[in-house]
Amino acid sequence: MPLDFSREGISKLLAKHGVRIAQESVARSPDEAAGIAEKIGYPVVLKVVSDEILHKTDCGCVKVNLVSEHDLRSAYTQIMHNAGSAKVKGMLVQKMVKKGIELIVGGKKDEQFGQLILFGLGGIFVEVLKDVSVRVCPITIDEAREMIGEINGSPLLKGARGTVPVDTEKLAHLLVNVSKMLDENQEICELDLNPIIAYEDGYLAVDVRVIRCVT
Amino acid sequence: MRDLRPIFEPKSIAIIGASREPGKIGHVIVRNFIDGGFPGQLYPVNPNAKEINGLKCYKSVLDIPGKVDSAVVVVPAKIVPKVLEECGKKGIKGIVVISGGFAEVGDYELEKKLADISREYGLQVIGPNCLGVVNPSTKVDSIFLPTHKMGRPKMGGVAFLTQSGAVGSTILDLVAREGFGMSKFISYGNATVVDETDLLEYLGKDKKTKIIVLYLEGVKRGKEFFRVTRKLAKKKPIVVIKAGTTENGAAAAKSHTGSLAGSYAAYRAVFRQNRLVEAKELDDVFDFAKIFDTQPPCTGNRVAIITNGGGMGVLTADAVIKNGLELAEFSEKTKKRIRETMPPTVNARNPFDIVGDADAARFEEAIGLAYGDPNVDALIIITLFQTVSLDSRVVDVVVKAAEDGQKPVITIALGGEYTEMQRRALESSGVPSYDCPNAAARSLAKLVEYSRFVKGKA
Repeated sequence: MPLDFSREGISKLLAKHGVRIAQESVARSPDEAAGIAEKIGYPVVLKVVSDEILHKTDCGCVKVNLVSEHDLRSAYTQIMHNAGSAKVKGMLVQKMVKKGIELIVGGKKDEQFGQLILFGLGGIFVEVLKDVSVRVCPITIDEAREMIGEINGSPLLKGARGTVPVDTEKLAHLLVNVSKMLDENQEICELDLNPIIAYEDGYLAVDVRVIRCVT
Repeated sequence: MRDLRPIFEPKSIAIIGASREPGKIGHVIVRNFIDGGFPGQLYPVNPNAKEINGLKCYKSVLDIPGKVDSAVVVVPAKIVPKVLEECGKKGIKGIVVISGGFAEVGDYELEKKLADISREYGLQVIGPNCLGVVNPSTKVDSIFLPTHKMGRPKMGGVAFLTQSGAVGSTILDLVAREGFGMSKFISYGNATVVDETDLLEYLGKDKKTKIIVLYLEGVKRGKEFFRVTRKLAKKKPIVVIKAGTTENGAAAAKSHTGSLAGSYAAYRAVFRQNRLVEAKELDDVFDFAKIFDTQPPCTGNRVAIITNGGGMGVLTADAVIKNGLELAEFSEKTKKRIRETMPPTVNARNPFDIVGDADAARFEEAIGLAYGDPNVDALIIITLFQTVSLDSRVVDVVVKAAEDGQKPVITIALGGEYTEMQRRALESSGVPSYDCPNAAARSLAKLVEYSRFVKGKA
């Protein structure tokens, strides 16, 4: 069966491999938004879904840290107002993500060696620092641990200068699982799980981007 | 696995394209086989000659009476397919095609023809567009460079595998100068039939080969290369240098990962994952190869530095730490012995500075103390030959200490002609000598890293 490259399809595939993605759903009414928020738990973020609004934050169409249904409903109204005459498809309700260390886990199909897995400091640092480690898929748990230890920024993960150490063992299992997923799904040409926020007790993948192989 | 023995261990060889003219490649190769003392049958093949270098010359391999194991082909590219067919009919199984003029100049059709004929007759072909092979133990030497222009290494345990002929010949010349022992030299050119992975498999099984040095531009079969090196690197160290590490393909990538995980990143991943020892510079190749070739495995990282110059000791201590090794802390017993046996100007510390007036006898005492200390895993000995009291006697002392073979002993010496002479003497006795602290420490760090991997400690 060919791989479903829709957002839902990819989320399902990741979930099947034990990769947690920040929960999100699109609501079409304040009631629906409240229902979703209840399900994924407060605090949440509310973002407009519209093809006509490019910079959502700039026009006040993103509201963060909504801790209650009252906050949510009032944010919904405000965003609708701020959106003005733009055509609004709905509202994206996302789990509000706690601060942590931003990482990237990626995949790429190399023409010689096949699927590669990448690990490194994520978010805005990815392209600037290029502090990453790479392996050929699938990898063992030892190889995953080594990937984590290999980046220059690895002391940050162990709790440098007063920061809390993150759960590198969970990250190692994440790498093993993603490498297995890539190995089993050769139609994936490129994958970015970026950022992945790492915490003391786990991690959360906030965004995912997948590119299908050109056949 | 391909059977490459006819190429490396032939009892009889045909040189197709042999020439009477001394300036021609086909002449040099015949000359080199004769001068090298190849003990088997040598058959020059050239339709226009009766005799070359006193050997009877044949019009075609088909005219040669009796069995021929191997052939070296130096005819123009266009004629190569015809020559290979004749080899196939004659039953020659191992062939080295030196001739260029195939895919490397855009003639993919001719290259494909070569591949097709090889498949049809079951030929093992190295090349085309290569420098040839050397096997010192069977005196096979198909390299077309004259021996007076390019040295040939002595017999030993290092196999050199190179895609590029030019890099290959330079390496070979330097290897001969540095006094390395070599098991095989293989320049494999376009790798049309036999590729680097086939050759690695062969060298893995080759009893004469202890370590493998590989110069790589790219691989033909990535997944096979990965599979073979994963097993092989546990048995024999593979020192690899990859050309083409700068990339230009990032623009095409659509994701962050796509732009970060380019082709060289993939090669690095393979090297790290399978524990190939990557050399970043040509110098590293020799620096790493000689420590792997001569020194025992070492899983500990506590280094003793013995020096007759304080500054060099400190520089070396820096290099040791920068490369992830540690300075050994001498045991109380060693410290006590140092205070008892050394002049009052010598401190019982590491770096162990035995000061500028140290002679061979003081070096011997100091080396003995450090070598015997259970807190020391490896020794770096700095011998600055510029001092009044140091001469070639210290070379004997170091060589004797290293002969024990329980702990790595490597040396650093910098200087002019006199120093160079002593360094050569050390190296030809199996003690690696470096002319820079960082090169010494980096090489030792690679040995420790690899030893830990083999012992399952990393």
